[in-house]
Amino acid sequence: MKKSIRMTREVVLAIIVAVFILFLSLTTNFNTVSGIYSFMLDISPTIVAAIALSLVIFTGNIDISAGTIMGFVAYTAGKLAEAGIPFVIFLPAGMLVGVALAGLNGYITVKFKVPSIVVTLAMNMVHIGFYATFLPMSGWIENLGENFTWFGRGRFLNIIPYGFVLAFFVSLLFMFIMKYTKFGKALYAVGGSIQSAMYSGIDPDRTVIKAFLMEGLLLGIAAVMKATTRSDVMPSLFIGRELFFISAALVGGVSIFGGVGKIFGTVMGALLVYLLSISMIYLGFQDYYQFALQGIIILAAVYITVTDFSLLKKSYCKETDEFPGKKGEEA
Amino acid sequence: MEKQPILDICGIDKRFPGVLALKDVSLQLLPGEVHAICGENGAGKSTLMKIIAGVYVADTGSILLDGQELHLENPNDAYKQGLSIIFQESSLFPDLTVLENLFMGHEEQKSLFPVLPFIRMNDIPKMRKRAKEIFIRLEMNVDLDEKISALGVATKQMVEIAKALTFDSKVLILDEPTAALTNKEVHTLFETIRRLKQEGVSILYISHRLEEIFQIADRVSVLRDGAYVATADVSDVSKPKLISWMVGRFLENLYPKEDVEIGETVFEVKELWQRGLLHGISFSLGKGEILGIAGLAGAGRTELALAVCGLSKADKGELLLNGKKLVIHQYRDALDKGIAYISEDRQRYGLVLPMTLKENITHKVLNRICNVFGIIDRRKENSITDSYMSQLSIKAPDGSFVVSKLSGGNQQKVSVAKSLAAEPQILILDEPTRGVDVGAKSELHRIISNLAKAGKSIIIISSDLPEILGMSDRVMVMKNGCKAGELLRAELTQERILEMAL
Repeated sequence: MKKSIRMTREVVLAIIVAVFILFLSLTTNFNTVSGIYSFMLDISPTIVAAIALSLVIFTGNIDISAGTIMGFVAYTAGKLAEAGIPFVIFLPAGMLVGVALAGLNGYITVKFKVPSIVVTLAMNMVHIGFYATFLPMSGWIENLGENFTWFGRGRFLNIIPYGFVLAFFVSLLFMFIMKYTKFGKALYAVGGSIQSAMYSGIDPDRTVIKAFLMEGLLLGIAAVMKATTRSDVMPSLFIGRELFFISAALVGGVSIFGGVGKIFGTVMGALLVYLLSISMIYLGFQDYYQFALQGIIILAAVYITVTDFSLLKKSYCKETDEFPGKKGEEA
Repeated sequence: MEKQPILDICGIDKRFPGVLALKDVSLQLLPGEVHAICGENGAGKSTLMKIIAGVYVADTGSILLDGQELHLENPNDAYKQGLSIIFQESSLFPDLTVLENLFMGHEEQKSLFPVLPFIRMNDIPKMRKRAKEIFIRLEMNVDLDEKISALGVATKQMVEIAKALTFDSKVLILDEPTAALTNKEVHTLFETIRRLKQEGVSILYISHRLEEIFQIADRVSVLRDGAYVATADVSDVSKPKLISWMVGRFLENLYPKEDVEIGETVFEVKELWQRGLLHGISFSLGKGEILGIAGLAGAGRTELALAVCGLSKADKGELLLNGKKLVIHQYRDALDKGIAYISEDRQRYGLVLPMTLKENITHKVLNRICNVFGIIDRRKENSITDSYMSQLSIKAPDGSFVVSKLSGGNQQKVSVAKSLAAEPQILILDEPTRGVDVGAKSELHRIISNLAKAGKSIIIISSDLPEILGMSDRVMVMKNGCKAGELLRAELTQERILEMAL
């Protein structure tokens, strides 16, 4: 079996990311210890959350409430840490909160046949309302100690944050899961065609719920990862962040229609979206320019997904003067 | 013939809200036979299949597989019992590879760590090996790492058959397998079916195409309006007999083409080029003439039609309408000049399925039925709809009926009505009777013939050779994007067309 390196979308993205990092480190303080450290610190939760969103998007669904779910996780973790409960307990507790809330989204989506975009949009509002109404001080927790922040601020060799190592292993694990397990294939199948998935004996409803549960688990990790870098947390910390995660996945080649994409692509997408925003900071752009430019980049990225590198294919056509659709004809 | 049937279907009833889809259907499939099931659209073939497959559950009756009663919860149960179904609509995942598709839902697994046997991963080398064994059995050669979307229709179908074999199926059910295949591909498929039969696999073969049933099947059963009509050995039954079972009466003529005096040339295409698709096609069309365009799938017939109507862009070429040069940038221009195209894929391109009959029929002529404020005149809308409904005898309660609920034949008629409403001078019909039952087919042909008689010029693109032979005044044969030749009605034979097309 021949194996050649093809210019897949993921490879192209990896090259762009590499070039980006090279330029940034040549022109800014990006190559200093603190530059690298803060880069890795910022990117880790984004990568984990973008993978979380990718799982749901693979099945053809979406979760607009990911950011507010993470808010609940951060609140839970902070509250527990405030009471002196250690990381090994509050991390799983936070993950559990993530699983429960995302699982609820999945359950409603499947059970009542409401499109997930509607369910999670509504949930997003419910969550925000909940913060303000039911949490004391809208969920603000201040002056968290070493007990809380040791994970977020801890680093190996004075440069690699603990969170980055965790994000690295999460990425590897999910690359493996999507490629080598039944669960991974079922996600692609349901996103590709529910009908066909059913005919292959895959239960679409259960698969979608599983995707949401797994998403919640990862959102829990991501939220704790981010929250523990700070000494004060509040649930509103992540409001609106889901758009960032979704765009990372889309830029990384995950199709919004489901069934297509790779975890490696998502990771590269997260890196690229992040690098873009910091390079704009370096260039001195203001916040709203960043947003506008990011929006345009997402449009461009999704356009390329939809057209599936058709520009490349056309040039291939010209050389051989053969129409790709005819390939199977003479076989 | 006193063999124990491998699949014994007894007294199946299935009721859907408002309709009895199947009543008391019984069938026996013998080991190693190819058993065809035929019937018009809506006869209940697909419902029966879906019950056998476990997609629907029958209200009454039982299915015995090898003497054992089958209880199916979902399609996967059916596969596990050794019953594989290849549905009409592809159940492959276009974005996944061949290998992933073959084992989707039942991947071979192994444990990741010997000490932790419950953590399991997919055993890709083992799946590869099994896939290759199956490919050898089927004498097919497909790259396992190729994406499904890169394969041709016929290859996709072979992959579906291979997928069925990954379950070691004893019974294979094929639903309209040849609907999208060219004659050559059908031939390959039949070879495969014969090979499987020799291996002892029993096959239920569902098809409209009677010719195929006579070629491939050992026995044939007919369903009509959800009821079982008859079963016979293929060697004992004639085609008209079969049709009469299906329709419930004898059809006098499937191709009621009337002789029409062909008028002056109204439409001419000169040297039409489209890179990689069309290579200098020229033809002309007279008033009242029916021009058939024959050729294999991929010969460029649909592409020609699209280029002529402005639905795709030609690189070079000239169109003349009534001797005047015609410039078409987009389909709207073609419609305005009186050229209408009826797509082969009526569900996707021809109709808006969730909308009503009248909305569909008047879609192309909204300008004409609106007042100055852009408000639709209900009376005009209804009168146009009613006139076409009676003209084409569309069977629907009224104009506000939703198109998706109509049968395939009636949908096709709506699709034709939609184009006729634009009052075209030239009508291009792409596979006008694909997936349409015999009764509706005959009716559609009568409609086409009447249109020609009324002075319209018609182009029929069809893979159904008898249709081309029966309906055309003249036939243009295409091959690999080129014009392979032209035949007049007098010199038309199936052999001559094939000779040119191959």
